[in-house]
Amino acid sequence: MSAWNDRPRRLIDVDRILSAEECESIAHRVFAFARGDGETKIRLTSWWNGELRWARNRVSLASDRRDLRLQIWRDVGVGRGNVETNQLDDASLEAAVRGAERSARLSPLVRRPPEIMPPFPAFAQPKTTIWADATYGATAETRGEIARAMIAPAEKKGLLSAGYLEMRAGSLVARSSLREAGTYAPWDVPYVQWTQAQCSMTVRDAKGAGSGWAGLSNFDWSKIDAGALATRALEKCVASQNPVALEPGRYTVILEPQAVADLVEIIVESMNRDSAESGRGPWPLAQDEVLRLWRTKLGLKVIDERISIEHDPSDPALGILPEPWMKPITWFDHGVLSSLSFDREYALTMLNENNARRGMIGYRMTGGETSTDEMIRTTVRGLLVTRFSNIRMLEDRSLLATGLTRDGLWLIEHGKITKAVKNLRFTESPLFVLNSVDQLGVPVPVFRPVRSPYATELTPAIVPPLKSRDFSFTSMIDAI
Amino acid sequence: MSLNRRTFLKAGAIVAAASALPRPLMAQFGDAPEPIPPIDDPRLKDLTARALDAARAAGAKYTDVRLTHTRTRRFFPLFTFDEESIEVGVRSLVDGYWGFASGPVWSPDEMARLGRESVHQAKANALGGTRVVELAPAPVVHSGNWTTPVQIDPFEISPLETQDFLASLDIYVQRVPGSSTQQNQAIGETQAKAFASTNGSYFAQRSYRMEGVLAIAMRLTKPRKEGGLGLGCLTPSALGWELYSAAKLPLVREHSIYEEIRRGMEETRERLMLPVKPVEVGRYDAVLDARTVATLLDVTIGRATEIDRSLGYEANAGGTSYLNDPLAMLGSFAMGAPTLTVTADRSVPGACATVQWDDEGVEPDNFTLVKDGILADFQTTRESASWLADYYGKTRSRMHSHGCASAPSAMHAPLQQPPNLTLTPGREPLDFDGLVKGMDKGIAINAAQLDMDFQAASGLGTGAIFEVKQGKIVAALESAGFLFRATELWKALHAIGGGVGSRRYGMSTQKGEPASTSYHSVTAPPAIVNQLTLVDPLRKA
Repeated sequence: MSAWNDRPRRLIDVDRILSAEECESIAHRVFAFARGDGETKIRLTSWWNGELRWARNRVSLASDRRDLRLQIWRDVGVGRGNVETNQLDDASLEAAVRGAERSARLSPLVRRPPEIMPPFPAFAQPKTTIWADATYGATAETRGEIARAMIAPAEKKGLLSAGYLEMRAGSLVARSSLREAGTYAPWDVPYVQWTQAQCSMTVRDAKGAGSGWAGLSNFDWSKIDAGALATRALEKCVASQNPVALEPGRYTVILEPQAVADLVEIIVESMNRDSAESGRGPWPLAQDEVLRLWRTKLGLKVIDERISIEHDPSDPALGILPEPWMKPITWFDHGVLSSLSFDREYALTMLNENNARRGMIGYRMTGGETSTDEMIRTTVRGLLVTRFSNIRMLEDRSLLATGLTRDGLWLIEHGKITKAVKNLRFTESPLFVLNSVDQLGVPVPVFRPVRSPYATELTPAIVPPLKSRDFSFTSMIDAI
Repeated sequence: MSLNRRTFLKAGAIVAAASALPRPLMAQFGDAPEPIPPIDDPRLKDLTARALDAARAAGAKYTDVRLTHTRTRRFFPLFTFDEESIEVGVRSLVDGYWGFASGPVWSPDEMARLGRESVHQAKANALGGTRVVELAPAPVVHSGNWTTPVQIDPFEISPLETQDFLASLDIYVQRVPGSSTQQNQAIGETQAKAFASTNGSYFAQRSYRMEGVLAIAMRLTKPRKEGGLGLGCLTPSALGWELYSAAKLPLVREHSIYEEIRRGMEETRERLMLPVKPVEVGRYDAVLDARTVATLLDVTIGRATEIDRSLGYEANAGGTSYLNDPLAMLGSFAMGAPTLTVTADRSVPGACATVQWDDEGVEPDNFTLVKDGILADFQTTRESASWLADYYGKTRSRMHSHGCASAPSAMHAPLQQPPNLTLTPGREPLDFDGLVKGMDKGIAINAAQLDMDFQAASGLGTGAIFEVKQGKIVAALESAGFLFRATELWKALHAIGGGVGSRRYGMSTQKGEPASTSYHSVTAPPAIVNQLTLVDPLRKA
């Protein structure tokens, strides 16, 4: 029964993700099953998750999960069809290809004839480090030990801790029957495997009168100091107990790196050139009276000049999954908006370039040298923010958003932290915050894990703490 | 034209039938793989037994195993896309610790591996301090079989027919000048599941869910105004294609989908014609439409009465609950006005959380979360029901799970997830228009979107908000929102509309780490609350 033996046994037994050879073989089998002409494309991901979750100082679930997704696109005539499956034996693959062809015959998608499109240029895959044996090699026993060590100090103090550890590994390949090794479309991905680890912990007192959090994600588990996170979460819980009510209003804020990253997330979503030129989002400047086209803010200073935001796929400290056509990009260069993302269709029609630029997936934000202690010491009256939660954008022009402070908010008076205060709801734009910066600290990695197991993008971020003026808090909330 | 079209459709149906999917997805029972059989095939029971035996042999005190076969179809006017996957998940309990293992292969060897792995995962943590797990008793299910009742299986109907139906909605919308559909798509999902546990339970169950999006943009010329609407009656439901094609659906819509579109567009047009006023911050009596009441109920009471959330099991994820001391609050804590009664079930036909058995093999019961304004119960599973044992003992009620364990597929371990919720309607046969008619001065809120805090205690609402004067909607309020605290809001409940105005909405929730999504439905009538705080959500401090 060759069909069965073709199944990648290693997914089940030894290796928990698909190897390059297995992916290659699957791609060729899929291409061979295609009936008639037309492109066949696949995108194949496999993943393994080793997870541990705890609450009330006891592990509530530990798990080992593996799965895969194979997406197949078939072009038949003018139509393009698509199916998705998680089975890789020949019978399932053939059925999936037939399904995609059937879907294509029902889908009169009008496509640009391939012969008038320029060829895809050759490209070299950026060299990156996104695999760590420390992540892949962590066993259930390791996770158990880590959790017990993180729980112990909280339990000893009579506090309740809850947390989550996750070690993941995955593989990804995206290929077309029309392109052999060496040439790639922007959406092709030569075989790549990656790891990702995350660790986060919340400590609360038994009455729920204080809450502290700390967390970090990195492709390499050995870069995450679980003990330090546990200490920080515990200290924050103790220091945040019995908060007092504070009037909402405008405050100078010292945002820890996590809080900065939570706000910058709104900007990350907005970095699209096509929407800017259609007059949507924060980046259109003005509409040309005659041509009715939108000029953008590209080249204009839009945030504080001390801040640059960039990504470099070969940055070893960052760890971005390398994809074709990916180059080092500076999104904000000393405060100037210098790049927006676009797809190939846009590049060909609007820029007359055979190019594409993916969005701000992982990023590094420059900072300064002021320590958080120094920021506190130089603040007459302000608030220290651990992180934000439940953020939603309200207005896409200004990126005005609302959200909440969470897990530790303190009042600073005359250079000292004087009391824990109740959480506040904010109504503020991250662009305003990044335009009102007083001081910047040293950038550090933050907690920004991939959210879906099928997502193949790694989303690391290195972000500084900062002090900003006139941050708008609009109401007080009781939630702790 | 119509004849040609019919001929085309007929020919298309033949093409579709001829090119129907050969059965994909293979399972192995003996030596050779074969296409997976129907979910009630007795050999699947043997397969699950391999997992149970392996886990038992490895030292599990309790084990359950689920096989799921999930199909998703995405419907568009010009495309139809399919997704299909199979999963198996095994969960074991050893010395009070849970372990879980899952994967995409149905074979005897893989069942045994996952059985052993689930025990391995549990044992790696059993080294820690003692953890006591008491599982509330669950009657044994002997070879049960149940399917969500649907009229038109969305996977059996020709894609040509569904594409044609959706395309007809585009055409119907466009007949009004200046109007077009911005989004027009549907998703159907069916999941076949086999469940077995070391309690001796075994059953097969097939569920369906259907939902759609129809977003319409409208441009008026006199006066020049732009607006739009999303059709509410395509809400996630445990239904088949009848969500689109039925002449009417109880609690979802009273008319055909075309008539709903016509009325929705007419109402949008009327509201676009209203004068626009800036919001005046202050406190107002407010008529809330059924959708707003259902959403409020879901994110306040629905979220707060999840027992695991209440006890801190979600503290590191979505947060905790304002009901932070369940045993002290049960039977005494005032959740709202005495007119407020909220029931929960997983049995109402068409509602998303409806099943015969939950993901721990428990047959869910109908229960009351809030009775006459007082907190009466929590949503529970077999483990979490025992956390309330003292209360059940005190009230001399039987300690049992309400059957709220749920997972999106066997790839995920089950979590406590919300059942269907219902706000008991008032006695007067009042719908939204009726409540507005009775109001002298105040506001009316439609389809509010809510931003809650991480204890489900307070929130910010935004949406279409109108001024009401002498029983009439007279103006649209520009950039208006409302702030509320959960208990204050429900205590300010002034009037509840009658069953005639009740509507059912499918909701999805995300919970847990790793995150898992589940669906349930909330049924509520429109209502009036007093003294709601109106704000301008776009105004900074």
